[in-house]
Amino acid sequence: MTRILALLYKDVADLRQNPSLFVPAVLTGLFSLLLPFVVAIIIPVFAEERLSDSSDFEIVVETYKDQPAMRGLDPEGTIQAWIFQHFLVLLVLTPIAGSMSVAAHSVIGEKQARTLEPLLATPITTFELLAAKVLGSLLPALLLTAICFSVYVAGVVIFAQPGVYRALFTPASLGIIFLLGPLASLAALQLAVCVSSRVNDPRSAQQIGVLVILPIAGLLVVQLTGSFTLTGPVIVFVALVLLGVNTGLMLLGIRLFDREAILTRWK
Amino acid sequence: MLTASHLTRRFGSRLAVDDVSFELVPGEVFALLGPNGAGKTTTLRMLAGLIEPSTGSVRFKADTMSPQTAPRLRGQIGFLTEAPGLWDRLDVRRNLLVYARLHGLPKPDQAVSEALETFGILDRASDLAGQLSKGLKQRVALARTLLHKPGVVLLDEPTAGLDPESAREVRELVLRLREAKKTVVLSTHNLDEVDRIASRVAVLRTRLIALDTPAALRARLFGTRLRVMLGQAAAPFVSTLIGGGFEDVRADGAVLSIAVSKEPLSAPVIVRRLVEAGADIVSVLADEPRLEDVYLRLLESEDQNAQTTKKGPSAA
Repeated sequence: MTRILALLYKDVADLRQNPSLFVPAVLTGLFSLLLPFVVAIIIPVFAEERLSDSSDFEIVVETYKDQPAMRGLDPEGTIQAWIFQHFLVLLVLTPIAGSMSVAAHSVIGEKQARTLEPLLATPITTFELLAAKVLGSLLPALLLTAICFSVYVAGVVIFAQPGVYRALFTPASLGIIFLLGPLASLAALQLAVCVSSRVNDPRSAQQIGVLVILPIAGLLVVQLTGSFTLTGPVIVFVALVLLGVNTGLMLLGIRLFDREAILTRWK
Repeated sequence: MLTASHLTRRFGSRLAVDDVSFELVPGEVFALLGPNGAGKTTTLRMLAGLIEPSTGSVRFKADTMSPQTAPRLRGQIGFLTEAPGLWDRLDVRRNLLVYARLHGLPKPDQAVSEALETFGILDRASDLAGQLSKGLKQRVALARTLLHKPGVVLLDEPTAGLDPESAREVRELVLRLREAKKTVVLSTHNLDEVDRIASRVAVLRTRLIALDTPAALRARLFGTRLRVMLGQAAAPFVSTLIGGGFEDVRADGAVLSIAVSKEPLSAPVIVRRLVEAGADIVSVLADEPRLEDVYLRLLESEDQNAQTTKKGPSAA
């Protein structure tokens, strides 16, 4: 654990000296934050038409008006709550997209800077190295998620109808942000670190790692079409699956990490 | 202390190191010499537990290096890699602090402060590593290598690219390590450096061509010679010595180079004969060929052996 913390300390210190690595994360975060506000608040204002005036949302009002978090809301508030709740999945993408470049650079970056060999000459094990590298990308990502979620809630409190914010504090919403989000991020970053230890170009690692975003984006689309909803039991099931995936990815990462090939064949 | 037994390493079909064996004792400075691609770095990496030999083994004290023991044994070995490998965006102190923690030192801050002081870089502790000169980077890398006080120190071309003053500091450090009874393995192309600090020399060209002390290698290849400087031309005195029982006598200007079997006993005889023949003797010194000559002779001889081996089957 001491060695994981030692390397983690280095990675965080290194990141603080190079904040530009987080520009993609901030941009993705801004996009994820703004999109639901554009849909739920800005477009109705400019179109001078309330969402509840559209027949497209009748089914949403009928389905969700009796949910505990939406009780007491008028039809416009119910639709806003539905939008803000469903777009939370998009917020999960923020840390993944943002930290992907950090994770993709993790091993190959050390190799390119010629810092990997002295590091491997210490008693550090492959598990400790990979764990530190994954955590070095994950922790800033989680911090970013927490900041984005806080801003999201504040935006909903200020701009949406009173009481809409309650939809963000249901067990399902919190499960998405604080359970599925970190677990999905962990899986994506582990995959990126695995790839980073197998390719000799960080761009390849980044491109392959970003593929993890596709299922999450798919989840968002499926949710918005109404054919699938992330309920409490579904979230627990997905979380368990992700836990298994993460364990498998760590074992795979250790197996794939070929320190000899990295030292002798990478240029 | 550290034993390499029949170390062989292949990378695909390429043989990088072939059946290399040696045993190192505490307080020994062991130099690995060889042309580029001779397997020096691969040998060091195998000794450091970074890569596994294809066959053969490395023993450190009572333990054999293996994937299971390597992490623990690496904690007792210091490996200075060819590149300093510092994190450029971190300052010097933080660079060392990370390694102190990776080695699990009980008081990492204190260990780093001591290392900074020992290596004379305390005043540069808060400088970013990326802003240091090459010599200073190497000094920080050396401090990092010795931070955990390893019993075995492996140095891969420690003076490459350094200015003479920095190179001398490194050599002095190696001598201090020798005095402290550390085992030092040094890979270098600087033969003058090896001559000054190495207890034993291994000449490597995939396989071990020679392994001995510098003096023994000289004696083996060139024999023991005396160099006599005269006050006049040396050529007329060659026959004097050949007639007096010395077989290999060469003259070059005012200098005579004489092959002798036992230098301390031969010198008075040679001087007496030359004086009797009317020579004016200016100085008598042991005629030591440079280590570079020894090294080149070894490689030439290896080339000739390889050619003979190649011709052998076709001639037959």
